[in-house]
Amino acid sequence: MKENTIALALLSALLVTPAAAQNGDAKAELARLKPGDFPTAPIEYTVVYPAGGGMDVTARLLAKYVEKWSDHRIIVNNRTGGAGMVGHAYLATQAKPDGYTVGIIANLMWGDAMLRAQGRWTYTDLEPIGYLNSDALTWIGPTEGPYKDMSVKQLVETAKDKPGTLRVATVPGSMWDYLIEQVEANTGAKVLRVPFQGGGAGINALAGGNVDIAQGFYSEFRGLADAGKVRPIGVAASERLSFLKDTPTMNEALGGDEYQWFVIRFAVVPKGTPADRKAYLGAAIRAAMKDPELVAEYLKAGVYFDSKLTDAARMQANLNAYVEAERTFYVKTGRLK
Amino acid sequence: MFERALNAFWILLGAAAAAYAWTLGLIGASGPESGLFPFLAGLIIMGAGVLLLLRPLSENIAPDFPRGDALWRVLGVIAGLAFMAISIPFLGFAVAGFITMVILLRTVEKSSWWFSLALALVAIVVVVWLFGHILGMALPRGPWGW
Amino acid sequence: MEAVGGLLTGFGIILTLDNLFFCFLGSLIGTLVGVLPGVGPLAALALLLPITFTMTPVGGMVMLASIFYGAMYGGSTTSILLNIPGEAASVVTCLDGHQMAKQGCAGAALGIAAIGSFVAGTLGVIVMTFFAPTIAAVAIRFGPPENFALMVLGIVCTLFMITGSPVKGALMVALGFLTAAVGIDVVNGRERFTFGSIDLSAGIELLAVVIGLFGVTEVLNNVERVVKSTLVAERIRGLWPTLADWKASWRPMLRGSGLGFVLGLVPGGGPVTASFMSYALEKRLSAHPDGFGKGAIEGVAGPESANNAAVAGSIIPVLSLGIPSNAVTALLLGALVIHGVQPGPLFITQRPDLFWGIVASMYVGNVLLLLLNLPLVGLWVQFLRIPYRVLFPVVLLLSIVGVYSANKNVFDLWVMLGFGVAGYVLSKLKYDLAPFVIAFVLAPLLEQSLRQSLAMSPDGAMIFIQRPGTALMLVSSALLVALMVRRKPKGGSR
Repeated sequence: MKENTIALALLSALLVTPAAAQNGDAKAELARLKPGDFPTAPIEYTVVYPAGGGMDVTARLLAKYVEKWSDHRIIVNNRTGGAGMVGHAYLATQAKPDGYTVGIIANLMWGDAMLRAQGRWTYTDLEPIGYLNSDALTWIGPTEGPYKDMSVKQLVETAKDKPGTLRVATVPGSMWDYLIEQVEANTGAKVLRVPFQGGGAGINALAGGNVDIAQGFYSEFRGLADAGKVRPIGVAASERLSFLKDTPTMNEALGGDEYQWFVIRFAVVPKGTPADRKAYLGAAIRAAMKDPELVAEYLKAGVYFDSKLTDAARMQANLNAYVEAERTFYVKTGRLK
Repeated sequence: MFERALNAFWILLGAAAAAYAWTLGLIGASGPESGLFPFLAGLIIMGAGVLLLLRPLSENIAPDFPRGDALWRVLGVIAGLAFMAISIPFLGFAVAGFITMVILLRTVEKSSWWFSLALALVAIVVVVWLFGHILGMALPRGPWGW
Repeated sequence: MEAVGGLLTGFGIILTLDNLFFCFLGSLIGTLVGVLPGVGPLAALALLLPITFTMTPVGGMVMLASIFYGAMYGGSTTSILLNIPGEAASVVTCLDGHQMAKQGCAGAALGIAAIGSFVAGTLGVIVMTFFAPTIAAVAIRFGPPENFALMVLGIVCTLFMITGSPVKGALMVALGFLTAAVGIDVVNGRERFTFGSIDLSAGIELLAVVIGLFGVTEVLNNVERVVKSTLVAERIRGLWPTLADWKASWRPMLRGSGLGFVLGLVPGGGPVTASFMSYALEKRLSAHPDGFGKGAIEGVAGPESANNAAVAGSIIPVLSLGIPSNAVTALLLGALVIHGVQPGPLFITQRPDLFWGIVASMYVGNVLLLLLNLPLVGLWVQFLRIPYRVLFPVVLLLSIVGVYSANKNVFDLWVMLGFGVAGYVLSKLKYDLAPFVIAFVLAPLLEQSLRQSLAMSPDGAMIFIQRPGTALMLVSSALLVALMVRRKPKGGSR
């Protein structure tokens, strides 16, 4: 009897120890990387979009878990305005590179840097320290009305036959516009673009019958989709999303492989932040990202993890590749020289 | 006299705004462009300025701007607020606020130095504690870290 | 009848010790936040969101919601006492509320504001209880053309608010439109009037404008005259509204409730728009429109009711559809998501406990706030006894923090100062500042919805006639303009 108990105890210890060791590992690594004099004050996670939005929720969840793993206090601060432009410019030009400011941003920053910064700053002024998640832009269609059962292909056909009648919600000057542009250029279709301030507003308009197609992210339309008020019809990603298995990718529906537009969320620090602080901040984020609870929360929000970016060693190089791809698009469409 | 100058200012402002708005484009393929509304607004401002300027002089209002002590008080408040805006990035909220409070307290009816410094100190401490610590708002810090 | 059942469930959930505590705490914080100049519900919710992580979803949401409508109670306090708006939805309360305070009737103004808030809040929640799904289904159909028509109605109402010279009034409205155009044009993403400045590309912050135009201007005016004494020279006459006050207020309260509720539902609407339009409506309907701006209690009762009703109105789309109509409700949605709740049309069936718990908490919260605010009237009125030379620096300091809290940008302080000086100069020249503010608030929505409507219409401007709701509102606006022109037979342009 006693041997069984001892065996059981040993077995439990064997199982528990690696898990505890991993916990201990992450915390130990963090403790090792922690610079002696830092941080002595709360760290600001700057979000350039309004509170309550998808980016904000991502940042707050991250902050919650980073605090759990690193014991330093984080304040999430929203610096909004100009559809992110104000916050990006603040991070790139005004925020002190002392390690107390971390930006939680998205690849939408590249568009601001390349097209709208007017030379005041560039995307290399912000150095990525950790990858969070990605979200693919999705086309959503109505569940009532004449277009209610059409697929992307059929809708594009309609737009070709009757140009200027299909109303598509867009957010000017961003990937919402670019995707529509690509579709129009490749298929000869012509739609009616209805501008909104954000993807969410467009989705609401769809649910109310004021537009025929909206574009957005899963977290934005999930509630309405579950209730049958809208339905996803095409995903602008390289492969189908695991939680939208029945929704084809835009590439599948229309052919080719250009229809890839997604939001990449990552953390940055202003250029010039001391290397040791930068390493510590990055490690804190990585530790949080390994927490299964955080991963589960993110998955619930309908994001996916881009395997090219989850490997910290290759993250910078692959991010640069994405930047170049976007730059190529801008040059090809005449937005950049 | 002052009002005439102001009316002239309106005319200039309206004209400049309308001109700038013109360069933004007024009407495009799908309706008004960026410039339409500001253009119309500029025109209205200009037109209003002209109408006001053309009124008989008797209808103009001579504003009773303050003189003497009253003027100093008003300028003191303006100076205090301006000082705050200029110095926050360099001194941080706490110190800039403290100095501004003292300026304001001393300008209007010259509270005693003793009282001004004491009240300013208490006020700043409470505000920084309430907003900075309790509510967690990031108030700007000076080179001394707070 | 299932609504009653749901409500009873909700009460069962809210009337527990900890949920009641959170409701009370949120109400208290909301009131204080409303009282503090410039710091509004949005800033407070953003700051306090992390605290709710450790609470249950019901507790957290109840607290956040009560902060939202609590701020509408407290916001009128500094507006009435000091002419400094507690937050943007209380700006119009400055116009008549502060005049009443100067005449010694601060208590009556504060009391009517609190009671109006209670009436509107409670009525709003009652409608929410029984009609939320129906209303939500209608609200979602509200598209850009309907928005545009509503904004046109709002601007027309603004024209009624112009006192004194119509030319100066029109100039102020046009100036409001111009100032609102500074920033990024949301319809096509282009920068307007920014001249390369990053600060300007974000637009001009509303809070900085109103605190400058009302608060700082008032301080400059007072500082000119007031020397040692307190702000209100007259004896403070009693703390309670008189019978005459009641008789004058009850209809504005009801109208404000109705108007505010509808405007809360509309995207881009909310308490701010509601308060402005209620003021304009009350002035239009009043038998003594010239009394407005000089201490008409209708000018307090209507807007203060409207902004509270708008809270209930704006929460309906959140709870019934998962759709936010303004920044604060967007934040409430985000809070739901962080708590692991999926908002959307299925929310009421998936989480009836949460849905009805929040609804029930709004009844309870309104009662708590009334019980909290009425006794505080006596306390607030005592503030007027503090010598002005001590009072105004403290209030200015709080205003600075409040304005700064909006965007954490020092530039806003310059905006506040600039508008303060401008307001000071212009008020000496008999320019009415309220139409500027209303135009500044309504112009972006008006322009955006017009251009969106035209963009989505294959037939161009015909869309305004094709949609019944829009056509109706536009015809009403035209009728109102005709009435206004007829009322001034001297031809109105001098």
